[in-house]
Amino acid sequence: MRHAATTSIIALALALAAASHPARADDAMIAAGRALAANGVMAERPGCASCHMQNGAGQPDVGIPRLAGLTEQQIATQLTYFATGARQSPAMAPSARQLSPAQRQQAAAYFASLPIPPQPDPLASPAASRTRGKDLYLNGDQRTGLIACAQCHGTTALGVGEFSPRLAGQSASYVEEQLRAWRKGAVRDPLGAFMRAEAGGMSLEDINAVAAYVASLGHTETQAP
Amino acid sequence: MKAKLLIGLAAAIGLAGTTASLVGVRPAQVGALVGMKSVPHLHQPRTDDEIPQGPYGDIIRQGEQIFRDPGTYAAAYVGNDLRCSNCHLNAGRLAGAAPMWAAYTAYPAYRSKTKKVDTFAERLQGCFDYSMNGKAPPLGDKVLVALETYSYFLAKGLPTGEIIEGHGFPPLPKPDLPGDYTRGGQVYAQNCASCHGAQGQGQSSGGKVVFPPLWGARSYNWGAGMTSIESAANFIRANMPLGLGGSLSVQQAWDVATFMDSQVRPQDPRFDGDVQSTRAKYANTPMSMYGRTVNGAVLGDPAVTPPARQMPPAATTN
Repeated sequence: MRHAATTSIIALALALAAASHPARADDAMIAAGRALAANGVMAERPGCASCHMQNGAGQPDVGIPRLAGLTEQQIATQLTYFATGARQSPAMAPSARQLSPAQRQQAAAYFASLPIPPQPDPLASPAASRTRGKDLYLNGDQRTGLIACAQCHGTTALGVGEFSPRLAGQSASYVEEQLRAWRKGAVRDPLGAFMRAEAGGMSLEDINAVAAYVASLGHTETQAP
Repeated sequence: MKAKLLIGLAAAIGLAGTTASLVGVRPAQVGALVGMKSVPHLHQPRTDDEIPQGPYGDIIRQGEQIFRDPGTYAAAYVGNDLRCSNCHLNAGRLAGAAPMWAAYTAYPAYRSKTKKVDTFAERLQGCFDYSMNGKAPPLGDKVLVALETYSYFLAKGLPTGEIIEGHGFPPLPKPDLPGDYTRGGQVYAQNCASCHGAQGQGQSSGGKVVFPPLWGARSYNWGAGMTSIESAANFIRANMPLGLGGSLSVQQAWDVATFMDSQVRPQDPRFDGDVQSTRAKYANTPMSMYGRTVNGAVLGDPAVTPPARQMPPAATTN
């Protein structure tokens, strides 16, 4: 049963990936996305930048994720999930639904085109927590069978292609919130079988520690020990 | 005969040099063992923050670095895009993924692959020759010393000469149907391609391969233990997809292992000039597709086979 469900959602993921594979973003798309970010699509609703900032930095302290550094396809796919309800988010659903599929692609192209902005000072997290987070991230946990995060997100947390997003320097509150949602069994994303399995084996302390660790990583290449 | 073959296979994948199965663990429990379920009596390897300061700790850290990124830290000896940690998951710590703590305590051991008693360092040399499609560091080289020191660090507290629970890859029962290339290709497309790529080419991050190439010129060569369909099936069923070990059926694991190990990959460095003669000497088992015809080509035929030991230009001067 579990196997059948896993197979079907992975097949769905592949189908979606194939269907939504973007053409290379051109300057016109990026420009259109920049305007959407700044102005939105209707007067009474602000653009993406009002929360995610025009430079894509997000607001890490309140858990609004940084979008710069993600790929166009990652952003566009998530916007589609928000719009369809595949990923539940009271905050994002209304905004994503306002956008046409073409506009979602434009906004994604814009944010994906941005350089990663200088990292704001990460919120203070206890050194012990970051150390624990680093150990979990790089080595997993033999006690629970947790697979190291690095196996999929890379030892430097830069993410891998369209499969796994960049985590280095991402908002700790955002990462923690997402891990908690996965842990509770959020459906969200066809590839979510992986994250439900991962987060399902983590304690809330583990989640807090991993989030603190990845947030502390710089946006440039950092080497694992 | 069969027992001898199995012993060879187990030794070939670097385990205890024996086929003893996980004590008290039935195959049906494999997924649970290596999945999220806690098995409290499994060995708990030490964590990074237990690495001591000073020159001894420095070598442990160096070993861990090499283990995660041999292409950078042992570049002179690596001829493909694999990392030790691609198969030995969690940097050699995870039970059921050939953990280095269990391997460390299993040597010296007689290995049918080399027909002699190999030390742990000699076993590590084999990884470079075959799995890494490179060349073995000489005994005493700092790369081998660092890897051995790291493994020793992880193995603290384990007895020698015992079968260590969690060693190697948990053995699977035989499938109901023989492993099948076509069915395996379907399993691959549905469960593996999103990470390893439709052509088995792997995927990179920041210029470094994260999801390893499973076949082709940048993968393991025909001398590697993973070319045994049985070993591959054992590994896959217990550990793949990452975090979802045990989710494939036994049949699917055998099928996709058959598919993966029926592809083109670099030559066995022991190649004697003749594929069938080389097969007879080194791959004389139904679990190896070396020398067999797949999709109209003979696997191992130099005409379709990338050479062994494709060392990077920079490394050859080291």
